[in-house]
Amino acid sequence: MSPRLRLAIALAALVAGLVNFVLLVRGGDGRPRPLAYLLITVVGVSWSFVAAGLVAWTRRPVNRTGALMVAVGLSYALLGLFFNAMVLAATPASFALWYLANSLPSGVIAHLLAVFPDGRATTRLQRVFVVANYVATVPLAVAQLLLVPLDRLGCAGCPDDLLVLGDGRPAGDAVLTVSNLSYVALGGLLLWIMLVRWRQASGPRQRSMAPVAVVAIVLVVAYVIREALETLVTSPSLLGALNLAVIVILMLWPLAFLAGLARMRLDRSAVGDLAVQLGEPLPPGRLEQVLARALHDPTLQLAYWLPDRDGFVDAAGRPVELPAEGGDRAVTILRHDGDPIAAMLHDAALDDDPELVRAVAATARMTIENERLQAEVRAQLEEVRASRARIVEFGDAERRRVERNLHDGAQQRLVNISLALGIARSQVGVASDREMAVALEEAAAELRLAVAELRELARGIHPVILSEAGLGPALAALADRSPVPVTVTAVPPGRLPSRVEETAYYVASEALANAAKHAKATAVSISARRLDGDLLVEVGDDGVGGADPDGSGLRGLADRVAALDGRLRVHSPTGKGTCITVELPCGS
Amino acid sequence: MRPTLLIVDDHPGFRSLARKLLEAGGFRVVGEATDGLGAVAIARELRPDVVLLDIQLPDIDGFEVTARLADGGTGPVVVLTSTRDRADYGERVERCGARGFIPKAELSGAALRAFLGSDRMG
Repeated sequence: MSPRLRLAIALAALVAGLVNFVLLVRGGDGRPRPLAYLLITVVGVSWSFVAAGLVAWTRRPVNRTGALMVAVGLSYALLGLFFNAMVLAATPASFALWYLANSLPSGVIAHLLAVFPDGRATTRLQRVFVVANYVATVPLAVAQLLLVPLDRLGCAGCPDDLLVLGDGRPAGDAVLTVSNLSYVALGGLLLWIMLVRWRQASGPRQRSMAPVAVVAIVLVVAYVIREALETLVTSPSLLGALNLAVIVILMLWPLAFLAGLARMRLDRSAVGDLAVQLGEPLPPGRLEQVLARALHDPTLQLAYWLPDRDGFVDAAGRPVELPAEGGDRAVTILRHDGDPIAAMLHDAALDDDPELVRAVAATARMTIENERLQAEVRAQLEEVRASRARIVEFGDAERRRVERNLHDGAQQRLVNISLALGIARSQVGVASDREMAVALEEAAAELRLAVAELRELARGIHPVILSEAGLGPALAALADRSPVPVTVTAVPPGRLPSRVEETAYYVASEALANAAKHAKATAVSISARRLDGDLLVEVGDDGVGGADPDGSGLRGLADRVAALDGRLRVHSPTGKGTCITVELPCGS
Repeated sequence: MRPTLLIVDDHPGFRSLARKLLEAGGFRVVGEATDGLGAVAIARELRPDVVLLDIQLPDIDGFEVTARLADGGTGPVVVLTSTRDRADYGERVERCGARGFIPKAELSGAALRAFLGSDRMG
């Protein structure tokens, strides 16, 4: 809110209060209520709500609580002006105006209490209550004015009635009883809403809300008792005392609210305690607990930014998802030169005091930065462990594959040759030369297949052309053997370190196998070229796309590339083909 | 009377060679199966004296087929075979209820006949 608006509201409340004060003190005996009660209501309650409301509004402009409190205060000032006008004019019309205006402040108070402390209704029941409360009080007041003799409503000097039907008594009694019962019901509903809100409030919020909630509950209970008694008891002194009690508690409510704010302020001392605690070295992961205690939020969680991963991890290096905005959880991101270093995930109630959260974060910055580096190292270690395990697993799977290929391929053929030769031997001297020749040729054909399969298998384990002639010829040979048409658009001149050549060849051959097997591609292009001391390998196909970078095949590629400090990127939009790009440092 | 034989293997080359070899070696081949479930079905229908059963099959393996064929002692004589060595399978060959094991490379009519007429493994 702007300072000018704040000043205008403060001045209006001050002036209205002073005017009301002077008029009330100087006023005659025609008052329907005791002077003390009136002064507390239109000056005390008005000023305390406006003052506390302005503080809350300034501190937390988004939360409507402050604005509602200001509205309560101003409505009481306005009510005071109507009251004094009624006393001065002493006409039924001015009485009726004041009588109707009476329902305004109670509507706003009920609104405030029903939506406290968020400042907005969060459930359907709360919304219905707020609207019903505003709507119900006006017709009830109108009915009272029309059906109840005005002197019974407290207009001492008034003529008998505005519009009393019949002799007025039974209808008037009925209206008053219905009104009181309605107020009791609305008050009870409000009490229920407040209790539910209290029970659902989180730790930090309950802590700051405690004084406010206690006073509010006492207030509503007293109000309900007064309305209930009004239908049963006719003792004016008892009702007068209850009225006074309700209005005094009402005046105290903003003070309780300020006490809640002060309680948060007192937490600033927690920042000092935090600084002392951080002076000692903390065991890993302990910082989270220390911050949780300083902010009175046991659910607080710390997450550290890892630039490599482009995401947050906890102290153990596990990934952390940030909560969506607008929920029960809020996030405070700590930055260094504009770059995030860490995030505090905490209860949304702490947003009521952002300065405290910032102060705590600033105090813990050094320790957080330190823990972040540790978390980064742990995350890298975890990644290395996982990839080491995957490499071992991959090696085992590869050996199993070779064993299976040997048994199902070459060995099966050799068995067949042995059987065929056995049959031929059994026919020696029995069959004709021609039949023998056929049987032997069968065995020879099987032998040629076995040799070819063994050669293919050996090349799969390690292509000789790669170590003999280098990456370019090896890629060309790979392209020649591929079932899918392959264009090799670029190869690096000369030789590269063998680790680089082998990894590049492996990437191309795996990508080619995937293109043929999974992507149903009809054309593949491979390019490998030097770029600023790196070898850049790109394999693109025109297949179905949608390759999963975390699938075992691509994961294995990524691990092999990572082992050379290289980078692998997979671009595979569904239906748009797959492009695998690998950068390998050549270390020259 | 020549013993009847069912050959179970998923390699067509092996099946045709084994058929030639074992028919020459005194068996009458009454059927061939290419997988385990097919073998069980055909064996129950044709009731051969002997089943030559590859251990490595596309669906259920040879041990499982042997167990299903046992039928409380009234089933056929089952002889397992594989390109792998018997030692690769350890005790499973004995435990599954098969009469014996012949490495594929050593298959012959004589080797198979050696398992007939004896209740224990040779």
